[in-house]
Amino acid sequence: MKWSQFFNTSIGKKLLVGATGLFLCSFVIVHLAGNFSLLKEDGGEAFNTYAAFMGHNGLIQFIAWGLKIVILIHAVIAIQLTIRNRAARPVKYAVRPGNKTSSWYSRQMAVMGSVLFIFIVIHLSQFWWAMHYGDIGKVSYGAVTEVGNLYEVVWFAFKESWIVALYVLGMVALSFHLIHGFKSACQTFGLNHPKYNGLISFIGVWFFGILIPLGFAVIPVVIYIKQI
Amino acid sequence: MKLTLKVWRQQNSQDKGRFESYQVSDVSTDMSFLELFDVLNERLINEGKDPIAFDHDCREGICGACSMYINGRAHGPWHETTTCQLHMRAYNDGDTIVVEPWRAAAFPVIKDLAVDRSAFDRIIQAGGYISVNTGNAVDANAIPIDKVDADAAFAAAACIGCGACVAACKNSSAMLFTSAKISQLALLPQGRPEHKQRAEDMVAQMDKEGFGSCTNTGACEAECPKGISITNIARLNREFITAGFTSK
Amino acid sequence: MLDAKIPAGPLETKWSKYKSTVKLVNPANKRKLEVIVIGTGLAGASAAAALAELGYKVKAFCFQDSARRAHSIAAQGGINAAKNYQNDGDSVFRLFYDTVKGGDYRAREGNVYRLAEVSAAIIDQCVAQGVPFAREYGGLLSNRSFGGTQVQRTFYAAGQTGQQLLLGAYSALQRQVSLGNVKMYNRHEMLEIVKVDGKARGIIARDLVSGKLERHFGHAVLICSGGYGNVFFLSTNAMGSNVTAAWKAHKQGAYFGNPCFTQIHPTCIPVSGDHQSKLTLMSESLRNDGRIWVPKKKDDNRKATDIPEEERDYYLERRYPAFGNLVPRDVASRAAKERCDAGYGVGASKMAVYLDYAEAIVRYGKIEASKKSLDHASEQEIIAMGKAVVAEKYGNLFDMYAKITGENPYETPMRIYPAVHYTMGGLWVDYDLMTTVPGLYALGEANFSDHGANRLGASALMQGLADGYFVIPYTIGNYLADEIHTKPIPLDHPAFVEAEKAVKGQLDTLMGIQGKHSVDHFHKALGKIMWDKCGMARNAKGLQEAITEIQALKEEFWKDVRIPGKQEEFNPELEKAGRVADFLELGELMCKDALQRNESCGGHFREESQTEDGEAKRNDDEFAFVAAWEYKGPSSSELHKEPLTFDIVHPSQRSYK
Ligand SMILES: Cc1cc2nc3c(=O)[nH]c(=O)nc-3n(C[C@H](O)[C@H](O)[C@H](O)COP(=O)(O)OP(=O)(O)OC[C@H]3O[C@@H](n4cnc5c(N)ncnc54)[C@H](O)[C@@H]3O)c2cc1C
Ligand code: HEM
Ligand code: SF4
Ligand code: FES
Repeated sequence: MKWSQFFNTSIGKKLLVGATGLFLCSFVIVHLAGNFSLLKEDGGEAFNTYAAFMGHNGLIQFIAWGLKIVILIHAVIAIQLTIRNRAARPVKYAVRPGNKTSSWYSRQMAVMGSVLFIFIVIHLSQFWWAMHYGDIGKVSYGAVTEVGNLYEVVWFAFKESWIVALYVLGMVALSFHLIHGFKSACQTFGLNHPKYNGLISFIGVWFFGILIPLGFAVIPVVIYIKQI
Repeated sequence: MKLTLKVWRQQNSQDKGRFESYQVSDVSTDMSFLELFDVLNERLINEGKDPIAFDHDCREGICGACSMYINGRAHGPWHETTTCQLHMRAYNDGDTIVVEPWRAAAFPVIKDLAVDRSAFDRIIQAGGYISVNTGNAVDANAIPIDKVDADAAFAAAACIGCGACVAACKNSSAMLFTSAKISQLALLPQGRPEHKQRAEDMVAQMDKEGFGSCTNTGACEAECPKGISITNIARLNREFITAGFTSK
Repeated sequence: MLDAKIPAGPLETKWSKYKSTVKLVNPANKRKLEVIVIGTGLAGASAAAALAELGYKVKAFCFQDSARRAHSIAAQGGINAAKNYQNDGDSVFRLFYDTVKGGDYRAREGNVYRLAEVSAAIIDQCVAQGVPFAREYGGLLSNRSFGGTQVQRTFYAAGQTGQQLLLGAYSALQRQVSLGNVKMYNRHEMLEIVKVDGKARGIIARDLVSGKLERHFGHAVLICSGGYGNVFFLSTNAMGSNVTAAWKAHKQGAYFGNPCFTQIHPTCIPVSGDHQSKLTLMSESLRNDGRIWVPKKKDDNRKATDIPEEERDYYLERRYPAFGNLVPRDVASRAAKERCDAGYGVGASKMAVYLDYAEAIVRYGKIEASKKSLDHASEQEIIAMGKAVVAEKYGNLFDMYAKITGENPYETPMRIYPAVHYTMGGLWVDYDLMTTVPGLYALGEANFSDHGANRLGASALMQGLADGYFVIPYTIGNYLADEIHTKPIPLDHPAFVEAEKAVKGQLDTLMGIQGKHSVDHFHKALGKIMWDKCGMARNAKGLQEAITEIQALKEEFWKDVRIPGKQEEFNPELEKAGRVADFLELGELMCKDALQRNESCGGHFREESQTEDGEAKRNDDEFAFVAAWEYKGPSSSELHKEPLTFDIVHPSQRSYK
């Protein structure tokens, strides 16, 4: 089988979704670690320094662009698969089993993913676009001079309750996407063994499904509360 | 007891099809689900109507012919039970039961509840065998096989090819069926020589037939009457990845 | 005169000598020769695959939606082979001997010896195909003893041996399909044999989806269509199992061998009501540990568990102290019938006996307790441990029983009753497996060959695969070698046109009757006559009555059957009607054959021929022959006798006392 054939099979495509998904999983860990500096009440020094570093380091810029492409690849192939899967059942059942045979979030990966996608677009246009192409205030901290004050932009944005709500919703989607997604990606790569399944489930549910999204969601909520 | 049956009626593959309702009284709890259909059909024939077509043969849960989607469940509510082994004890007086055919693009309806599952045969034709001609074999005990592997191969080989996995999957995916055969042969030393080609060819055929892909929801495993496990799907994935990365 | 064409010479060398002298067809010619195989059970699938591997062009037919669903899939127990892996004294000779004796001396020595000879190669072939037989921890194959034999020669795959063997043969067949050597016709039913110049040259088949008739040419035709137990309506056979293919062959000149030889299996789940559509077999292995009993009092309506030990009649242990609950199938079945007929039956219908595991549970529990050195285990603990052991050994069977009956067999004894299971009779064939029509062969349960009057457990699977993998590939060459110059006969040849017209005519007639009763109505009526008068016990008077009743029923059928729908569409009722029409004719012949055979042998019990204490009595002086019936027109057949001679195994009366 040539590579082109291989990645055009249903399993080949799933491997791409799984690989990109796991890559995104690793990204969210890093992203969250950085984000916690938002909660430091240091006038934004730590966060802005971090953001500036991320924004100007060549390698990181490369990865950051790669990341956007990865999200696109992930989303495009996943949606391709979803369309194909729908076409595989042209006539729907009149009665469906509900959650008796599978969990709802495992069946709603495309919906959760799409919510996530919309969230990511809004999120990027709000902060990443502003940072790179927008007109935001500049600050200096000692050796670090004239960096964009993204900290201020973020704190300002999270004064608005609906934006906070949107972020929480986005993270709920991420949570359910990953509760199933992490374990599913392992299964796609063939990792299924009674000795390790417990660990895989644990990481999928507790770490990626709960801890990470909760961490992300806590930030806007805390900033909001601090500002009322 | 008395029951209302809402059954999918479709004259042939071109017909659009619709539900029809039937009241059945005097249903004994000892009847099997298919015997309920026998009784109803007998009545329909006596009334000069067309009886309901459905596939069945062994009526003991092994041939894989029977295939009804009952109140949203492939083979009905009982765990690891085919339609023919489901008994009316599972229902209460006054229940309404909706019966549909397996629904999948790859399983076109032939008539009423009978569908065409020849796609499964073609998946097997693509590689679900060991290429050994009659008379070529060495002595059976010349190939010792770890009992654990042999038992796992048997558990996978227990698949009856009924298609409930496809019917139950939201994507109409045939991964459980395909993985059961690939696993059986991958676990046995006899199956190793052609394992790469087999994985590639069977997966390609599965796609060609128009089955969906696997989202790992586990509905297939939950509904499989023979308890085929999705660990087999993981094994299929491993086999396919190995093949894709190392075959010529 | 019927010539079985058994090769001359000593038993041990007949087959090897045959193989080394049989005519061969060269590979280039094989490609030009077409073979039609009806049926994809063990016999058909193995034959089709093996012939295609040799290079013949094969067309295979089955009426199910896939070749994999042939009824062989349902066989549970296992397959015999003279491997002697257990070092317990098994050999080709012993398997041969047991089969001839088990068949109550009504099978041919030559055929049976060949069967035993090729049995070992079957296991090798199946393992090579990836059939996952049960294994020991050392990685080698496991065996069990089955059907009361004294050696462990049965290979098995849990309770699904038939399934695994069939899937092996099916995969070999599918491989040939993918290689283009076999063309597979699913959902097709063969409805007529086409003969040209006296030789079988093709078939007429109906595409069951479109309802259209098709003509197919073949240089030879193999009937591998399975057994006809469904003539009794209720049997352990699949709903679709039928005699049509064999019966059409019979009407085209193939003799029918020993039609009355039917095997009734003792351990099946009893009938629960009028809705009953089939009967379910509970593996014979259950008799290894269970005890069979009925109450000593007639019409005892107490719950089984309320009947004290001293008021129970363990009738098999009483009548057959040497073998007890392990007597052969026919003996166990008749004994159950005898008790129920005498009024001691249990359950709502009173047509059942108990198969009780209470004692086995306690016995196993005690063994477990002593293994674990639990000297003071309470009764409950012992029972719990015993149940666990029983669940491990028979769990799937117990679950099946619970699903069907809604009763818990761990708590109350199971109710069982005998049911029709297998037909030893079938198309008469010679050593080449050829019927009396040249070019027409019969394999597997469809032929009459190797089991005499009673088949041993785990021998049908062996015979089906022996016929398909290892016999027909040789013997067919003997015929086809002379056919290499026969060009495919065009499908507009008058013989095809005529045959199709006849089939069409019958279908038109059936559709045109539009009477009052469904096909099942007639099938059930036939089944009742057969079961009552040609079932476990038969007598001249009953059989004569049965013949008249069947003739009347047949007439009524052709006047009053109602088939809904159309001919040229998917119409399961029309399929059933054709099958029942043939069963009606077969039923009559079975009764004639049973009437003719005024002796008791194997599964055939004539009440006129029994010992003082009610045991079967064979009559070798008058009946040591194969009854081969020739079709002579409606309700008319002529009996030909193929005498059986026993050079090696000397017939003796079976005794299990
Ligand atoms: C419940 C049960 C358990 C058994 N257990 C054992 C066991 O443990 N050990 C053992 O040795 N034996 C056992 N037997 C017996 C054994 O299974 C059968 O004798 C054997 O499998 C028959 O194989 P076959 O290939 O001859 O026919 P089958 O497997 O019956 O196949 C018949 C084939 O013919 C086709 N066919 C029939 N008529 C037509 C037609 N008109 N046109 C086209 N196709 C047609 C069918 O589609 C099918 O493919 C058991 C039998 C039963 C019923
Ligand atoms: C941070 C963002 C995201 C992460 C970490 C992520 C992660 C994952 C993971 C790990 C999987 C499992 C892959 C597998 O089963 O092999 C997955 C599947 C999926 N993802 Fe995402 N994903 C993200 C964003 C998205 C987006 C934006 C979409 C857009 C539509 C999306 C749609 C899907 C779909 C539909 C699937 C299921 C595919 C299938 O099995 O059929 N995901 N994702
Ligand atoms: S895997 Fe299970 S559900 Fe799917 S075809 Fe096999 S037995 Fe049926
Ligand atoms: S009819 Fe054979 S499995 Fe149900």
